[in-house]
Amino acid sequence: MSVRKTTFLALFTTLSLAIFAIESAIPPLVPIPGIKLGLANIITLILLRHFSARDALVVLISRILLSAFLFGQALSLLYSLMGGLCSLLVMAVVMKVLQKKLVFLTGAMGGLTHNLGQLAVAFAITRTAGVAAYLPFLILSGIVTGLFTGLCAGFAGKLLPSFLSDIS
Amino acid sequence: MKENLSYRKPALIIAAFLLVLCLASIVFLLSGREGGHYVADIFQNGILIQSIPLDDIQEIGTFTVTGENGCVNEIEVRPGSIAIISADCPDKLCVHQGFISDSRLPITCLPNRLVIQLRPVSDSAETVAAPDAVAY
Repeated sequence: MSVRKTTFLALFTTLSLAIFAIESAIPPLVPIPGIKLGLANIITLILLRHFSARDALVVLISRILLSAFLFGQALSLLYSLMGGLCSLLVMAVVMKVLQKKLVFLTGAMGGLTHNLGQLAVAFAITRTAGVAAYLPFLILSGIVTGLFTGLCAGFAGKLLPSFLSDIS
Repeated sequence: MKENLSYRKPALIIAAFLLVLCLASIVFLLSGREGGHYVADIFQNGILIQSIPLDDIQEIGTFTVTGENGCVNEIEVRPGSIAIISADCPDKLCVHQGFISDSRLPITCLPNRLVIQLRPVSDSAETVAAPDAVAY
């Protein structure tokens, strides 16, 4: 990995951390745990599309660990990791199948699987079948917020300076 | 240069899949049971610690539930509804959810691992982990 690339990945980690910090300052819109915009997913999508799945993974894990140390509790780390890894895996596959086109569809699948991963952790922690009642809410919110972050990533991708393409 | 259009079919499949999931969720949410008689089951770490028939509540009452880490949730019961009215967790999502009076969405305090689920009186406690632990 060249110094140039390492620097850019660090820059993207910082960007996603800043987006994450701004988002956590927004009060929750609905009183349901797990529903949020997930704006940091924009960075993951851009990296998946213009760099590689490996780079996206490095930045994702760095961001989750850093944000857990900076503002989180130990428990939220588990949710973020599970949700993030599930969605990254699915988004990498979908992005490949769609040949990097229609990024909003990849985003929607990512949002959906992120929420499903988190719900699985919630089930493992509370060991209550009742958390399944959140499933419809989390499916809807995951798809809608995923569409939004996907569109953002699509538009942002068009504005990326062209010199970024020789790094990856 | 010929454009490769082979991504169109999977794109349609994915879009249809997402649409069906959305519609199914909406239909499920709209068909939720309303009204009726409910028993409030309070679970901690997945174990039933209290079961309160909400029809039997005559006046407003409050009590606190303390978790293993010293987490405290204060619960208020009213005739037909129940809510967590204060909690020492950071986000307080359970408090913001307010009173629930149907079985559609349980109140969950994830940091304190507390779940309050309403169950229709007619249903037997089949989903309940430990029916002996009823203590109210």
